[in-house]
Amino acid sequence: MSELTIPRGKHVGARVNRVEDPALLAGEAKFVCDLTLPRMLHAAFVRSPYAHARITSIDTSDALAMPGIEAVLTGSDITAYPLSDLVALEGLQKTPQPVVATDRVRFVGEAVAVVVARDPYVAEDAAARVEVDYEELPAMTSVEAAMGDDAPLLFDDLGSNVVFQTTRTFGDPDVAFASADRTYRRRMRGNRFVAAPMETRGVLADFERASGKLTVWSSNQMPDLLRVTLSAVLQFPAQKLRAVAPHVGGGFGQKMTTHPEEVVVAYLALQLGRPVRWIEDRRENLLAAAHAKEQVIELEAAVKDDGTILAFRSRCVGDAGGYSFNQASALIEPWYSATLMPGVYKVQNYEFEVLAVLTNKTPIGPYRGVGWTPGHTIREMLLDEIASDLGLDPAEFRQRNMVTAGEFPYKACVGQVYDSGSFIESVDKALEMIGYEEFRAEQESARARGCHLGIGISPYVEPTGFGSEAAQQQAEFPFPSHDNATVTVDPTGKVTVALSVTTQGQGHKTTFAQIAADTLGVELEDIAVVQGDTDTSPFGMGTYASRAAVIAGGSVALAAGEVRQKILDAAGVLLEIAADDLTIESSRVSVKGSPGRGMSLGDVAMAAYWAPTTRQEGKDPFLSATRFYDPKATYGNGCIVAVVEVDVETGHAQVKRLAVVEDCGTVLNPMIVEGQVRGAIAQGIGGALYESIVYSETGQPLTTTYLDYLLPTSTEVPSIEVGHLESPSPLTVGGIKGMGESGLIAAQGAVVSAVIDALDPFDPEIEELPLSPDRVLRSIGRISG
Amino acid sequence: MGKAAITLTVNGAEADGLVEPRRTLADFLREDLALTGTKLGCEQGVCGACTVLLDGQAVRSCLLFAVQAQGASVTTVEGLAASEDFDALQKAFSDNHGLQCGYCTPGVLMTTRALLDTLSSPSENEIREALSGNICRCTGYHGIVEAVKELTAAQA
Ligand code: FES
Ligand code: FES
Repeated sequence: MSELTIPRGKHVGARVNRVEDPALLAGEAKFVCDLTLPRMLHAAFVRSPYAHARITSIDTSDALAMPGIEAVLTGSDITAYPLSDLVALEGLQKTPQPVVATDRVRFVGEAVAVVVARDPYVAEDAAARVEVDYEELPAMTSVEAAMGDDAPLLFDDLGSNVVFQTTRTFGDPDVAFASADRTYRRRMRGNRFVAAPMETRGVLADFERASGKLTVWSSNQMPDLLRVTLSAVLQFPAQKLRAVAPHVGGGFGQKMTTHPEEVVVAYLALQLGRPVRWIEDRRENLLAAAHAKEQVIELEAAVKDDGTILAFRSRCVGDAGGYSFNQASALIEPWYSATLMPGVYKVQNYEFEVLAVLTNKTPIGPYRGVGWTPGHTIREMLLDEIASDLGLDPAEFRQRNMVTAGEFPYKACVGQVYDSGSFIESVDKALEMIGYEEFRAEQESARARGCHLGIGISPYVEPTGFGSEAAQQQAEFPFPSHDNATVTVDPTGKVTVALSVTTQGQGHKTTFAQIAADTLGVELEDIAVVQGDTDTSPFGMGTYASRAAVIAGGSVALAAGEVRQKILDAAGVLLEIAADDLTIESSRVSVKGSPGRGMSLGDVAMAAYWAPTTRQEGKDPFLSATRFYDPKATYGNGCIVAVVEVDVETGHAQVKRLAVVEDCGTVLNPMIVEGQVRGAIAQGIGGALYESIVYSETGQPLTTTYLDYLLPTSTEVPSIEVGHLESPSPLTVGGIKGMGESGLIAAQGAVVSAVIDALDPFDPEIEELPLSPDRVLRSIGRISG
Repeated sequence: MGKAAITLTVNGAEADGLVEPRRTLADFLREDLALTGTKLGCEQGVCGACTVLLDGQAVRSCLLFAVQAQGASVTTVEGLAASEDFDALQKAFSDNHGLQCGYCTPGVLMTTRALLDTLSSPSENEIREALSGNICRCTGYHGIVEAVKELTAAQA
């Protein structure tokens, strides 16, 4: 068997219930906030109330004098290197962020001191008593203001608030625009919205002085990176540092990067020699945990009268917030918008300009779909406008310009190589699921009764399985991205799979066990999956960028395949037959074709470990293998179609129906795939209609509770119909592609397009998202301002 | 700050505490009684993660002070998990993939328990309405609604 194929028994591809569920349902699963240690102390942060200010003095004496207070530290009390991004792209300016501000604050919510107390209530009381004097500086809350000629600088030594600017040209866009029959242009301010995982961030750190061991439990997606980062910024020996991500209540990218608070809590434990826990509250999460998505994007298209798109030109300006945030940098938004702008469309002439600009807002970090979301949304808005202007059906116009089935592998102009896919087919299928023809008829009759329905069609391609090649194709720098898995069969014949990827709810303990089960010929209940602990998991990058299924799936399949061979070799010796003539099924090793002749896997394993006769010259008898996998770039695709109803009196838009077709190649567990797709789409609905972090002109955040920052609930998210197509990747182990982000890449565009379609009779003008009732009414001139 | 003595019933057993008047019921349950199944998602009364039953009613334990539960009977997810009909709940949520990270899940289960006690043969809209106070960031609600539909159908 080639290393690219994985055996498909009864597990891979089956709708298997999750092994994670019982502990979570019973309330037994432990998240960071559920962990306590003897003598544990509680930390609370003092945060800047100003968007931009110089710290002139800090008086901690009142706070320190309170009973129950163990320590109050300011930035100058903390010995830690500042955090910075890891992006090696030429021209990107560095903006090191002290883990607690020392002399300057650049956004409301930046930590200026930290209080440690025996009781969390008392820690918060004391935090309120820390007196900080500030000299307020002018705050810039938009990229336009921050780019102004005499805009005050966030970092004086940089000479500009623009930390990155570049232009790239592919093909010949100038000629294409000059020869086009028509050109179109659109500008959009994409909303700042956030991951808002239900579990906020949290850290517990414990330092055992005598052994010198520092353990940090954190609600984090990349414990290995956290360990390496902590070791570097605290100058602490990595071999004595253990990072653990226990149960994590959602991450969606926000918990990828090392946040300053993680460093501070670890530092406090080191200094105080007692365990210290910090559990973020929701206000802090909305204030100070990485924000996401905000960009101002301009997009132009050059089009022929027959509906052929000749070229795009884009300008993506990312609103980075106060720092080019570690480790992903301020490019996490605009760069990815720009580089994936052509999407599923065959556009080979393209020019983009990317700018990343500092403002006095919370730093931007990764969030599911990174820059792809707003770029995708504006492109689909523009395509609707073009279709309507050309009098073409929006679906047909799109399909005419898409990469066709026979054209894979297809090299997009920016450099991505789409390995396989079903771009056109997924649109057909999604339209069929929604009943497109019938909908158009219904739309017309509804309009006649004053009911405004609209439909939005949003086909996507999703870069997945982020390994080194994908990093090169998408990020233009060869960030070596790989992961490992260790598969071990113990002497009783039971299996442990240790993963370097971590889970925040994606069901890894189930899906990766499914792969190991089929490869090894055992049942799911014979397998334990361990992950999220640097002491017991092999080193790896962790979970982000829709890579776990591809990379962990591949590395588990490879490692399990190697262990399978070792089992067969040992059994061959025991049964005196060639290993090639043996197979394993339901934990029994037997001769192919004569199932009666064989022995249990447990007996083989027992003998492999302990019977000297099974030892073979030159072979490693240990039934374990660790395999590294750095996959080729692979691309998932699909199409989302949304139907909305807009009340033109109140401006209220409601998603009535939503159908999605996803194609992530080989499906490991359809139930989990559907869950990921639906969950991501719900977030996209939020980004289209409800979710927005709002700042006042002086940089005061106005959305610091869930009453102001509106998340979609069960009454806003309709039942979502999911269809599957399977175009396995020819390049990855098992043909697996990722799919975790597509819903959030494409759903915002689908819903926004649907609202615009519903409002078509009113010629809506939409330049800002989300489409909250006031914005809808303004877009059709029902209210002004 | 002075402390008040409280006595209540939690998951069928008597629980005593000496608490500051400002201590929330959620913190009392989670920190003082080590019943960490109840989760906190916002402490602003919006997300429903902290939902417990107080004398049979679904309430938000982040919005109540522990002293307000004096004399009351509280059921948390740990109590629910020990109850007879938990198997059906567990099966319905697992079969329908009604949870991913599971952080919202204890609250969702408590709301579901209250819903099953109060609504008979609810429509999907009624179910969605009843669940609208429980925010889930992972699932898009589909699996949760399907699980509850299955449970209410079995009950009808
Ligand atoms: S934690 Fe109580 S409602 Fe959110
Ligand atoms: S399952 Fe993660 S928040 Fe609901």
